[in-house]
Parts: sequence; C-alpha cells; structure tokens
Amino acid sequence: MTVIKTEGLSKYFGKKKALEDLNLEVPEGIIFGYLGPNGAGKTTTIRLLLNLARPTSGTAYVLGEDIRNGRSYLKKVGFLPDVPNFYNFFTAREFLSFIADISGIDNPEKKIGKILELIGLKNEKGRIGGYSRGMRQRLGLAQALLPDPELLILDEPTSSLDPQGRKEILDLICSFKGKKTVFFSTHILSDVERICDRIGILKEGRLLIEDNIEDIKKRYTRHRILIEVDDTEKLIEKVNGLSQIKSIERRNNNGLVLEVSDILPVQIDIPKIIVEENLILKKWEILEPSLEDIFLEVTNK
Amino acid sequence: MIKLMKKEFYEFVKTKKLIAIIAIFIFFAISSPIMAKIMPEFIKTISIGITIIVPPPTWKDAFLQFFKNLNQMIFLILVLIFIGSIAEEKNRRTASLVVTRGVDRRVWVLSKFTFQLLLTISLSLISFFICYYYSVILFPDTEFFPSFSSLLLFLVYITFVISLTILSSSAGNNIIQAGGIFILVFIVLNILNIFPSLKPYNPVNLSSMETQWIVFGVDWNSAVKTVISSLILSIASLVCGMLYFNYQELE
Ligand SMILES: Nc1ncnc2c1ncn2[C@@H]1O[C@H](COP(=O)(O)OP(=O)(O)OP(=O)(O)O)[C@@H](O)[C@H]1O
Ligand SMILES: [Mg+2]
Repeated sequence: MTVIKTEGLSKYFGKKKALEDLNLEVPEGIIFGYLGPNGAGKTTTIRLLLNLARPTSGTAYVLGEDIRNGRSYLKKVGFLPDVPNFYNFFTAREFLSFIADISGIDNPEKKIGKILELIGLKNEKGRIGGYSRGMRQRLGLAQALLPDPELLILDEPTSSLDPQGRKEILDLICSFKGKKTVFFSTHILSDVERICDRIGILKEGRLLIEDNIEDIKKRYTRHRILIEVDDTEKLIEKVNGLSQIKSIERRNNNGLVLEVSDILPVQIDIPKIIVEENLILKKWEILEPSLEDIFLEVTNK
Repeated sequence: MIKLMKKEFYEFVKTKKLIAIIAIFIFFAISSPIMAKIMPEFIKTISIGITIIVPPPTWKDAFLQFFKNLNQMIFLILVLIFIGSIAEEKNRRTASLVVTRGVDRRVWVLSKFTFQLLLTISLSLISFFICYYYSVILFPDTEFFPSFSSLLLFLVYITFVISLTILSSSAGNNIIQAGGIFILVFIVLNILNIFPSLKPYNPVNLSSMETQWIVFGVDWNSAVKTVISSLILSIASLVCGMLYFNYQELE
C-alpha cells in the first residue's frame, strides 16, 4: 500500500512558488527522509499533507484519503511540528492525558507512563512552560506517538537534540521500520544516512531526486581514490598519462584525490608506478560518496 | 466537546484567570449597593458650607451602579480575557496541534464559545444574587422583577458580545488583530445607531435599555425586536467564526 501519494501537488503564496508539481510516493513501513535546503518547501509539504494548508493545485492521498475531501485520516497520523509549542500551563503528563482525551484513547495512564519513559521525560514534573527546546521536541514526539499512529510525520525531529538524545530518538524512529511509516524532514544528512530507506531531495519547491538510498548512491558514485605519498609531484607526472584519470586534486601536504572513470585498472596501474618510482606509500583509500556529497551536488546544479 | 471544555476550564484555573474573574464579579456585586448607600453621605460630608440637595438613595441607585459596572469594567475584562482564545492559539500554533489530532475545527470553536458563555452566565447570575442580597439589606424595598429583567437583557447582550469575540478571534491571527477587529465592529455598530430605523435591531442598545428599565420600569414589548435580533446576530457571528476557522489555513 502507498501511504502517501502526491499528484502534481503545488502551493503558491502569492507569486512565491513554495511547492511546485510534487509527485511523490511513500510505500508502507518505510522511513522516508525529506531533504532540502532552508526554504525548499519541506514544511509547506507537511502542512499540505496535514490539511493545515490547502493546495493551490494538485492533490495528495494520505492513507488512501484525498486530503481535499476530508480530515478523518488525521486520527491515524502522528505529527511533530518543526517548532513544537504546547499549552504551557500543563505538565507533560497532563498534556498527554489531554491528547489521549481528544484522540479517544481509553485508560491512557499506563500508555502515557510508557511513552514518557521511552522519550526520556519520565522524571519531569514541572510545567511545559519551563521546558528547554530539546525537551519540547521530545514531548512533541511523545504526543505524536501516543495514539499509536500508522503514519508519523516529523518536521526536523532531531534539530534541537544533543548527540546522545539524537541517537536515542533516531534509534527509536528506526525501531518503527516495518511497523509504521515515517515521513521526516531534516537537514542533518548523517541522520538520514543512518536510518532512511528512501529519500527525496527538494530545492526551491521542486523535487530533484527521489529514490532508495542505495540506488542514489550507485547513480551518483564517482570513483575517487585518496593517495598519500612522499613525493606527490612525481606521482602526478606519472599518473597523468593514464587514460582513466578524470581529475586530480591536491589535498593537504602530500595527499592527492584522483577521480577515475574505471577503478579496477587504476588499482593495478598506480601501485605499479609507486613501486617503479620508489615512492613511499603512506595512505591508500577508496572514497565512498557520502550523502552530503550527493546532496551538495544535486542541490548546486 | 466536553473534553475540550474541560481543557479550557483547566487553563482558566491554572493561569489564574478564573479566580480573577470570580473576584471581579463578586467585588462589583458587593460594592455596587454599598457605594449607592454611602455615596450621598460622602458627598454631604465633603461639601461643607454649600448646601447640596442630594436625594436619598434607593434600590434603583444600587442596581444602576451594578449595571454600570457590568457594562463597563466587567465587559472590558471579559473581552480582554476572551479575545485571544482562538487567535493566540493560532499564533502559538497550539491550534494546529489540536486540529491535526483529528478534532473537528468547528467543534473546537464551539467548545470555546460554550465554555465562555456558561462561565459568564453563571458568574453574572451569582453576582446578581449577591448584589440583590446586599441591596435588600440596605434598601428593604428593593424590587426583584425590574432588576432581574434587566439582568436578562444583560445576558442577551453579553451573549452577543461573546459571539463577536469568537468571530474576531477566529478572524485575527493574534490577540492584537482580534482586538482590532472587535473594536472596529463595535464602532460600526455604534455608528449604525444614527439610522433610527435600524436602532431597534442593534444589540448595542441593550445596555442602555437595562438602566432605563431600572429607572422607568420594565417594557418587554419595546425590547422584543432588539432581543431577537441580538440572538440571531449572536448565532450568525458564532457560525461565521466556526466556518471561517474551519476554512482557514493554520501555521
Ligand atoms: N505562510 C507563508 N506565506 C508566504 N510564504 C511562505 C509561507 N510559508 C512558507 N512560505 C515560503 O515558502 C517557501 C518554503 O518554505 P518552507 O517553510 O516550506 O521551507 P522549509 O523547506 O521547511 O525550510 P526550513 O528548512 O528552513 O524549515 C519559503 O520561501 C517561504 O518563504
Ligand atoms: Mg521547515
């Protein structure tokens, strides 16, 4: 089943095209990372999916329901806003009881206790008004999880968390794999690399790329080798003759990054050169493309 | 609906709005008859030398004072407290938190209105009876029928005012905008009074009617048009507020 499907989804604010012709499919049970620079239209997409804003044109189907026709699907969706704000006069426990109340959960006490423990707010007795940003983000996730939704929509869920908290929350999100569908937006590429099955990259309201992480990496793989030797000039001179070399870039004092069209012959030829020229090999590394490289490449086009 | 109202009530308790409103209602309920009683004495004592003829105070003065306070101070305080009820939740984005949980947006607005109306009506009744009690003690000839009839007029009036704050709050994106809209509508209503043909239908005239009834006696016949049109306008602005909130985009 497709949990989220958008068809030509667009949103203009006056002349400003916040989102244009978005066609996206998120299958059930996966973790979908929604990436893009500031102002790309991530939050706008989320507001449309949650029926907080109306599309200028196009539509989306969330859990099979057309977002233009109804709001009943919202009961099965958990949402964490980018800047979570709650009723400051409540304590976390009171607030979650209120959410349980309006979500129609009976006898929520046990469930609330469990979620507070899971999210690391079990010992917070104070009012939400005194919470730090990270604590609010945790509470936001708690209220999103409370009704046990089929779909979680999270807008930058880890943006204010400390490294420890980020790991905990990512592990938690990761544990939903196969059970819930998670759609989350973020700037933090290492998070995405860690837990996402599929990503979409958005820029200026347009979706540039959408695929499985593996396939994207394959598609954007550039073969690069980092070599460190004692005499880089000599190596450059010799290596320049090889037909597979596409570019040579100096790095630090005696490092070179070679981009090659085919990696196998180069892995035989260059060591030969090093031996012939009596160079001292200090480092040899095949560079994997990181998501960051791909992100920068895609968004800078 | 009940659950949403429970939250409103809890909010009023926790933010001490409830205790403030109760205190104000009770303060004016007690002070109005007492002020009416001692004011003439007070004027006499400060005007040494000049003879001022002050008629002896009656129960009418007590209730004139009471309704003046309801229509000025209490009116102002209620509007100030209620005007942000929707607008500030939009501004702080707690509104979107609730509606993305699948709560019907119209029901959400209706629950706020119902809570505010019930609170206001019960406090008005309580403070009326307190005022009546003290008035009877100070002026044994206090009449119940005209003073209670005036209270009913006030309840109609305040129902209209609350539905107007709901509409303003639903239309504004923060408390300042909502307040601006409310004041604007109120000014327009007062300007409309220059047309004599519209006057009987204008809810703002209910407040002056209250004092007239105290002074000159109850006249329901002349008030029927105003009462009915006020109730219709209340429902209309409540429904508009609900529909507009249902339609609008939220942050
Ligand atoms: N209510 C609005 N009125 C006018 N323009 C808006 C509105 N909301 C968003 N925009 C514009 O739409 C564009 C996309 O904004 P959006 O908030 O979706 O970006 P984002 O990808 O979430 O960015 P960030 O990473 O900074 O959160 C921006 O240029 C923004 O200025
Ligand atoms: Mg955003």
